[in-house]
Amino acid sequence: MPTFYYLILSFVLFLIGTTGVLLRRNALVVLMGIELQLNAGNLAMLTYSRALGDEKGHVFAFLIIALAAAEAAVGLAILVGLFRNRQTINLDEANLMKR
Amino acid sequence: MADVAGTPGGNLGGANVSDLLAPLASGEGVVFLILALGVVAMSVVCMTRRNPVSAVMSLVATFFGLAGLYATLSAHFLAVLQVLVYAGAIMVLFIFVVMIVNREESTLVSLRGIPTRLLGVFAGVYMIRVFAGIAIPAQAPGPLPALSDSFGTVASVGDMLFRQDLFPFEAISLLLLVAIVGGVVVSRSARKESDAVIAADKRIAISHLSSHDSPAELSEVEETSAAAGGHH
Amino acid sequence: MNASETLFNLRLIPLLPFLGAAVLILFGRRWKREAVLTVAAAAIGGSALVAFDAFFTRLPAVAEEGGLRDVVWTWMSTGNLSVDLAFRMDALSGLLCLIITFIGFLIHLYSAGYMEHDPDYPRFFAYLNLFCGSMLVLVLGDSMPVMFVGWEGVGLCSYLLIGFWYHETPNADAGKKAFITNRIGDFGFLIGIFLTFQATGTLRFSEITSFATAGSVLTAPAWLGMSNAFWIGTFLFIGAAGKSAQIPLYVWLPDAMAGPTPVSALIHAATMVTAGVYMVARMHAVYVLSPAALAIVALVGAATALFAAVIGFAQNDFKKVLAYSTVSQLGFMFAGVGTANFASGVFHLYTHAFFKAGLFLCAGSIMHAMSGSGDIRKMGGLRKLTPWTHGVFLVCWLAICGVPVFSGFFSKDAIVAGAFATGIFGDDLSWVGPTVGVLLLLAALGTAFYMSRLYFLVFSGPTRADAQTQHHIHESPPSMVGPLVVLAVGAGLGGLVGVPGGLFGHPEWNLLGHTLETAVGPELDVPHNTELLFMAVSTVLALIGIGLAYTFYGGGYRAPAQKFAAAFPGFVQLVRDKFRVDELYGAVIIRPLRKFALALFRVVDRVLIDQILVGGVAALVDVLGRVSRAFQAGDAQRYMAAFAIGAAALVFFATRPTVPSTLKVEVSGTTVSVDASRAGRASPRGLTYAFDFDDDGRPEVVGLKSDARYTYDQAGEHTIRVTVTDPRWHTQSKIKRKIDLSAAGERK
Repeated sequence: MPTFYYLILSFVLFLIGTTGVLLRRNALVVLMGIELQLNAGNLAMLTYSRALGDEKGHVFAFLIIALAAAEAAVGLAILVGLFRNRQTINLDEANLMKR
Repeated sequence: MADVAGTPGGNLGGANVSDLLAPLASGEGVVFLILALGVVAMSVVCMTRRNPVSAVMSLVATFFGLAGLYATLSAHFLAVLQVLVYAGAIMVLFIFVVMIVNREESTLVSLRGIPTRLLGVFAGVYMIRVFAGIAIPAQAPGPLPALSDSFGTVASVGDMLFRQDLFPFEAISLLLLVAIVGGVVVSRSARKESDAVIAADKRIAISHLSSHDSPAELSEVEETSAAAGGHH
Repeated sequence: MNASETLFNLRLIPLLPFLGAAVLILFGRRWKREAVLTVAAAAIGGSALVAFDAFFTRLPAVAEEGGLRDVVWTWMSTGNLSVDLAFRMDALSGLLCLIITFIGFLIHLYSAGYMEHDPDYPRFFAYLNLFCGSMLVLVLGDSMPVMFVGWEGVGLCSYLLIGFWYHETPNADAGKKAFITNRIGDFGFLIGIFLTFQATGTLRFSEITSFATAGSVLTAPAWLGMSNAFWIGTFLFIGAAGKSAQIPLYVWLPDAMAGPTPVSALIHAATMVTAGVYMVARMHAVYVLSPAALAIVALVGAATALFAAVIGFAQNDFKKVLAYSTVSQLGFMFAGVGTANFASGVFHLYTHAFFKAGLFLCAGSIMHAMSGSGDIRKMGGLRKLTPWTHGVFLVCWLAICGVPVFSGFFSKDAIVAGAFATGIFGDDLSWVGPTVGVLLLLAALGTAFYMSRLYFLVFSGPTRADAQTQHHIHESPPSMVGPLVVLAVGAGLGGLVGVPGGLFGHPEWNLLGHTLETAVGPELDVPHNTELLFMAVSTVLALIGIGLAYTFYGGGYRAPAQKFAAAFPGFVQLVRDKFRVDELYGAVIIRPLRKFALALFRVVDRVLIDQILVGGVAALVDVLGRVSRAFQAGDAQRYMAAFAIGAAALVFFATRPTVPSTLKVEVSGTTVSVDASRAGRASPRGLTYAFDFDDDGRPEVVGLKSDARYTYDQAGEHTIRVTVTDPRWHTQSKIKRKIDLSAAGERK
């Protein structure tokens, strides 16, 4: 099975994730989009690991999964804090950085 | 070479399209095709749902599909990890948050700054196009390298993690610790705590009042309680 | 280290007053008056002690070798120019140092009484100290830039002190007038410095002096047929005329009397205004190379001497009379140095410092007594009421009139006799010396007249003051009288150091001339008969002037004075109005300048700067702000989009094949050879080049080589298009160029 299929799939997944991150209003969905992007990266890692016969990519994928877990924990905590303070998780209403 | 100005959109780098598509007809190819279509479909569903619960559920499906793809890449350990950590842990976390902030969106996409954001999406598309230019080979690729039996097993990946890559492993565990502490600090309600402090001060003041009945000392007690409040 | 580099802590002399000024400005406000006075007087007194020590114990041994020198540090060193912050004391600068520190000290003491009731006491003394320091830098400077620092410093202090009572507009205006007029002079001075450096390659006085010889580049014609020395001398004299109040830049000095009287005495009589004379004497080696420049100096000086003396006839303000007298006496000094009689010019500077400081301080004392009024029409009879002041004024009056034995007699006589005897002007300009001499004699007569008028109107006869003022008239306190007496002694006997001893067969009696010889060359050798003749003539003229004044004004306004005024009312009014020179300047220079400035203000400032530059920049910032605000929306998603766009741009530029900005084409006949490689670099990573020569969309030459040849069927205009492809990234760059074969072929 040629590896470029997997790579193309990884690109497509990443693009779907990016589109969600850039366009969606709901912070929860944006976080899910980030998870998708990370998974697309993981898929590319494992693909190249398979193509080169080297397990280094597995280690990277492992670390990325741990990173994703940490990111999800903090991101969701921030989301909960945002909701508690402003009763919304819409990103276009979370623009205090402007001021 | 008749046409050097070829682009990825047309003749993919000069390779024959049917050559490139041939592997999909094999048994492996069918499995990949099913999994890949499933993953793409589920991820599109995830990104387009209004209801967060269905979004999370389709994301779980995506992760399962990805775990299957990992397995076809001989990454057995990572496939299991994908199910355990993503589908098991992270998605449960998402579900909990959905329960807390369960709000269905009225509009999917906010129109604020939409030109910039759309331009960002196109930038992503452009990059994918360029990267595909190198991912897709000029001619049908040769066979993949043969793998040892232990490739991608827990033993082999663990061996690598704990011998060669111990430092990144420890670093990432420290990061997880920091994330836990950070998550607790950020999501903890600051107001509730200050409310508790004020309530405790009030209780102390009331106990003082109840032990001294003379009105002359009342103001003094109030001052004390005010001082105590200011102290916290 | 050669002998002329004899070291001494000369830097202490200006440093002490500067320190005093700094301390007083920083802390003086909170101190008692006694403490302020102690610091100020100690600063200038200590400086005086060092100066006297240097002049009398150290200098004589090394005067022949160029005097004492003190290098503080190298100030600037660039190209051929190297300027040290260095001080030098030779006989000339040493004498000036003594005058400045000694009279400065006396005036500090006098000011203690005069400024007693002024709320700005510490500020006054800080400025005085600052002035003394700057003046000492001016005098001691080893090179022209250091002198210029002092020159500007005293100009600043003059401005600050004229406008000391700045709450009243006329005082502030007088300060500005002095400053601006001086700027005009400074412009000339700066040009003179530049010319000097251009001609001699150095700015150190000692090096200029040794450079200035008859055969040097200084005597070579430079511009309009005049020599370098002429232009240097002329431009430097413009600076000197500004600082020393000569025609045409004298107008600021009378107005400068708006400052406190001790300031008038110190700055505008004794020291600062003589800086121009000092500078000419300092540059004497250059001036003697150009008789024409000297003639300008001498004629302007003599004309100023007479002109200002005439104006002095009709002034009714005590200090105004003295101010015009100062202008006139400065004219004498310039006439002295302008006839190459440098020692006598400096001699008059020295005697003038004493008697004019004395006269001004008397004026201050009398105005103190008269409740601040300086109108001599309201005075008279003060001889009995202020006996000490009267005595001092008497001595100084006789000195300035040139009555024998008093100091002014010797110095004025030396200048007048020198003007007739000088041989510096040669045959072409031989008329200059006698002309100057006659003008000076007339000016001496005028001096005797207006000073006597002043004396008689103020001191003789009955008083004309109103009853209330009369009631207050009193002698000044001892702190003011003491310095007056010391100055009177100097004014009376100071001339004895410059006795023309040659007359008596004892040239060594002329101490001053002997001392100055090492710095400004030997004193002019005047034949004994000439000397005696002009001594007699000037004495007679002085007595005539005094006698004439007595008949007009002895004991008050007498009948002849009133008859004269009635006979020539127009002339008297004209003189009283100072020949309306200020009005002339106003109409010719100031009004057109104001109109020009107003026009500039309306066009340049209002439109160009306010609207186009300032407003334009504001508008630009506004537009940029509006644009960039869209990016700073506080919207995390837009930030992420920007990040993606940036990444895509990086990918675009990194993966595009590199091509030159213009295609290199070589033509021979109808054959062209094209090179699409980037200048000097080999083509990277196996790029594919497609050359389309005839613009039909189909490339004629395709391959990995970056150059190609092609022969056209016919000449004419052709367009060459090259498409470069990177096969790994599938990215392309295109470049095209139009060529005209026939033209190129013909050119070949």
